[in-house]
Amino acid sequence: MNIIVLIKEVPDMEKVKFDSERGVVDRSSAPAEINPFDESALQAALDLKERYGAFVRVLTMGPPQAKESLGDAFARGADDGILLTDRKFGGSDTIATSRTLAAAIEQETYDLILCGEKSVDGDTAQVGAETAELLGIPHAYYVDSIELADEGRVRVTIENLCGNRQQRTMKLPALVGVTKNIGKLRLPSVSRKLESITKEFKTIGLENLPALSKEDTGFPGSPTKVAKIEVPSVEERESQIFREDSNAFESKLEEIFTERGIIS
Amino acid sequence: MKYNNITPQLVQNLQEAIGGDYVITGKERIEAYLFDEVEKTYRPEAAYDSIVVKPKDTAEVSQIMKLSDQYQVPVIVRGGATGLAGGCTPVVDSIIISMERMNQIEEIDAENMVAVLQAGVTLMDLLEELEHYQRLSFPVHPGDEGAQMGGMAVTNAGGARAVRHGVMRKHILGVEAVLPNGEVLLLGGKLIKNNAGYNLTQLLLGSEGTLAVITKIILKIFPKDQASATIVAPFAGIKDACHAVTDILQSGYTPLAVEYMDKRLFVDTAEMMGLKWQAQEGSADLLIILSERTQAQLYDAVKAIHEICERNNCLECLYAGKEKEQEELLLVRSQHYELIKDEICDSFDMAVPVSHVSDFILNLKKLVKEYDTDTNIVAHIADGNVHNDILYLPDGTIPAYADELKHKMYELCASYDGTVTGEHGIGKIRTQELSDLKKPAELELMKGIKKVFDPKGLMNPGTLFEVE
Amino acid sequence: MNITQHEPQNNNEYRGVLIIGETERGNMHRVAYELLNKGRGIADACGENLSCLVLSTENSGCEELCKRGADQVYLMKSPVFAAPEEVLFASNITAFIREKKPAVVLIGATHFGRSLAPRIAAALETGLTADCTDLRIDEEGNLEQIRPAFSDNILAHIKTINRPQMATVRYKEFREALPDENADIRIQEIPPYIAEYPDVTIEKIISIGDMDITDAEVVVAGGRGIKRQEDLALLWELAQVLGGQVGVSRALVDAGMASSNIQIGYSGSRVKPKVYIACGISGAPQHLAGMKESDLIIAINNDPSAPIFAVSDYGFIGDLYEIVPRLTERFRKKGGCHEV
Repeated sequence: MNIIVLIKEVPDMEKVKFDSERGVVDRSSAPAEINPFDESALQAALDLKERYGAFVRVLTMGPPQAKESLGDAFARGADDGILLTDRKFGGSDTIATSRTLAAAIEQETYDLILCGEKSVDGDTAQVGAETAELLGIPHAYYVDSIELADEGRVRVTIENLCGNRQQRTMKLPALVGVTKNIGKLRLPSVSRKLESITKEFKTIGLENLPALSKEDTGFPGSPTKVAKIEVPSVEERESQIFREDSNAFESKLEEIFTERGIIS
Repeated sequence: MKYNNITPQLVQNLQEAIGGDYVITGKERIEAYLFDEVEKTYRPEAAYDSIVVKPKDTAEVSQIMKLSDQYQVPVIVRGGATGLAGGCTPVVDSIIISMERMNQIEEIDAENMVAVLQAGVTLMDLLEELEHYQRLSFPVHPGDEGAQMGGMAVTNAGGARAVRHGVMRKHILGVEAVLPNGEVLLLGGKLIKNNAGYNLTQLLLGSEGTLAVITKIILKIFPKDQASATIVAPFAGIKDACHAVTDILQSGYTPLAVEYMDKRLFVDTAEMMGLKWQAQEGSADLLIILSERTQAQLYDAVKAIHEICERNNCLECLYAGKEKEQEELLLVRSQHYELIKDEICDSFDMAVPVSHVSDFILNLKKLVKEYDTDTNIVAHIADGNVHNDILYLPDGTIPAYADELKHKMYELCASYDGTVTGEHGIGKIRTQELSDLKKPAELELMKGIKKVFDPKGLMNPGTLFEVE
Repeated sequence: MNITQHEPQNNNEYRGVLIIGETERGNMHRVAYELLNKGRGIADACGENLSCLVLSTENSGCEELCKRGADQVYLMKSPVFAAPEEVLFASNITAFIREKKPAVVLIGATHFGRSLAPRIAAALETGLTADCTDLRIDEEGNLEQIRPAFSDNILAHIKTINRPQMATVRYKEFREALPDENADIRIQEIPPYIAEYPDVTIEKIISIGDMDITDAEVVVAGGRGIKRQEDLALLWELAQVLGGQVGVSRALVDAGMASSNIQIGYSGSRVKPKVYIACGISGAPQHLAGMKESDLIIAINNDPSAPIFAVSDYGFIGDLYEIVPRLTERFRKKGGCHEV
């Protein structure tokens, strides 16, 4: 089985600082890492590899330094990685990103595509499903378990779809977006980590993707345009703070809860 | 020594000195200010008729000391109360000076790489402040960031990172201190070299609040390392693990910390936290924490240390490079206490020369077998500092052999030329051990020094030496 | 790859606002009523129609959509819509949109909506803006889609140059449109364009109960201040007497003490209850993103400098282990309004 894991390099969102005057994220303020949801996708792929045998290839689109994340994935057991990088990919919105990914994926052999349910920086959760649509394959999101089924199908369980868990089978190739519950990325061995430092990965630019024209990707290929960035004013509430005197605090809550019909 | 009780007149004078809001009386209200983190069973008995005061600056501390001197009522200084030796528990009725309001970071002098801090600044406050400077940090970390700098100074705190950075006394260039008679002294300064007379700064460090009140600290700060990683190195047995440690120390690739804990503590603590300990094989795991200036230097160190571990027959080592992964490993290391705290009735802080640490640990395990019990071992292993414990009987009572076993453990430690306390200090729970450990001449010198600073014996009575 | 090069679009052919209604266990998901409220405003601003498309096995709640502001409801009725599946739903909605050419398509950002909308957008080769917090029409009649980004540090105003302009909106972001009993009921039943998709077989539907924290009126949430998993029981007791649910910050999920189902924050659920009680939560931006819209925020923390106090209406500086049981005791005596 050939598995492709889509990973995105994101800044550590707990650390990253924000320049509110310029309305931009200061990416130098936090280390880049694999999107935590994609880490779970990678672990799911490694688990499938362990269970059924598979060739696991990670694919990422980003600046040249995103190869660090490919190295990290390799250290943890991925067999290979591909870096999609080109200035002409810059400014891609989700549909332009999906077209670019789909064009690259079409050049590879694949049975299963895995990704995280969303990225922590963009939080749109669109690229997986859009890529599946462009590839003409089925997809499922919010998946917390995957196994192979008969007749070239994959069986997945979706945590919550319209208020229910759902178990379905999908014909391969298919795309599966996983939740963190599917598994936590395990540590690499030191030897494999050291090996990954010098590992080279295939780099693909626009000229390596004949199916894609420059109007399909990057800024020109993006139908959504950011018209304006605004820094929201933080809504400060009139805080009434109690210390030590817990009775006064309790009474206040009782009064306000009664007023609002929370207690009778 | 005759101490006086706390009279309404003293209370009134204290209120006048520092303001009524900051003088706390009444058993119920002061109870929160009586203890540190010593196990309940081994806590010193607290004097409940004490009083708590919260001065805002050095001048107020000085006034409090003058009142203590005038009324002949002892003084206990309370910092973050993260200590493990009963140091901040009053055993006679005392004025407890709680330093929490003296939490000003007075200066971060990046040019001289020095911070000037009021004693009540917590380690957390300091680390947060240094975050703003990006390139600065402070390495000593006793585990609990609620610890205050004053407390860390007078207890000469250690912690895991001593392998690379040593203990607190290495980093303090000077202090402001208030003597028991209320006089304020400024000792040392922002000087790297300072050879004028006896080094009284160093004398106060580790004095556990028995000589003077430290109100301000001039602290060395450090450039921040840019790359770090934690290696989990499992070994089949502790001998190989310890041999790897001494080889690593000789190699020059000095880790920030090397931590050891019984395998079952790693495995069960991880499980308690809903995690899985990933080093499945082996019976002796080391956490080797590395911190280097650059990523390239880090990988060099990882490679070298990994080779050393392999030469010492390690099993497959794991690599945690991401901060979250490293934090999680450390959290398993520090949360083990939650797992065992209800099982232990006494715990220890012995230290031996690092070459003897594997024998020491193996013999401790052997010793407790004679009593048909166990002991949990957690160690800052590259410092030779071993924390182990005595367990309750299965029915939850303190075993009759507890005292005997403790002394056998100490004898074992002494046979390796060890010490009864590596980092926690004597406090009020190891005074007997101190007098057993030291020669009479050394003890007399210590007591003489105490008398010079504190002729009336008002500073933290019962600490280091029994109350006479 | 299905990249089809379309003729340049004529944006003027696209008119009106379309809302996709989602049914959940036979009932209309209430996010549709919220979309109707916003959609009505947009349609009126353009002087155009507001319609709804519902894919269902039955006529579930279509009348209510009319009462709450839809000029026209299309019910695509078929047994194949018994259980949600993205390809079948998306291809039918796509075909419908190609035929009707709405200028604006709004979809609730439920799990299914978030999974479905991108397929439709990709098939239509148009833009999609996720999780909008506001929508408005600019002077040229374009849809301005406003969404927070980077943990709510910025608000991006996004426009789509293609048609339709598609957006998803989180549940509880807008107020519901109110029903008007005298409204015209215009429901048109239409057959599906595509009635089967053999590549996906739904094998099992398992009910997960009504555990949805986003519906709770009271949320008692715990963070780093909770030392052990068992201690969450303290919060459950308080939540029970107040008829609420327990939520947690990411710290507890990361520590393995709670399931991500009840995680509140940027990467968890966003809640907007009547009362939010944050216990031992410092208030990292990641968490605030998920709860700061609550009607009433109460914070309990022993750190007076915790940022949570800045967004709270009432705060108590002290030990949650003492105060929470006291609150439980006090409100238990009062008796909550809710059966527990």
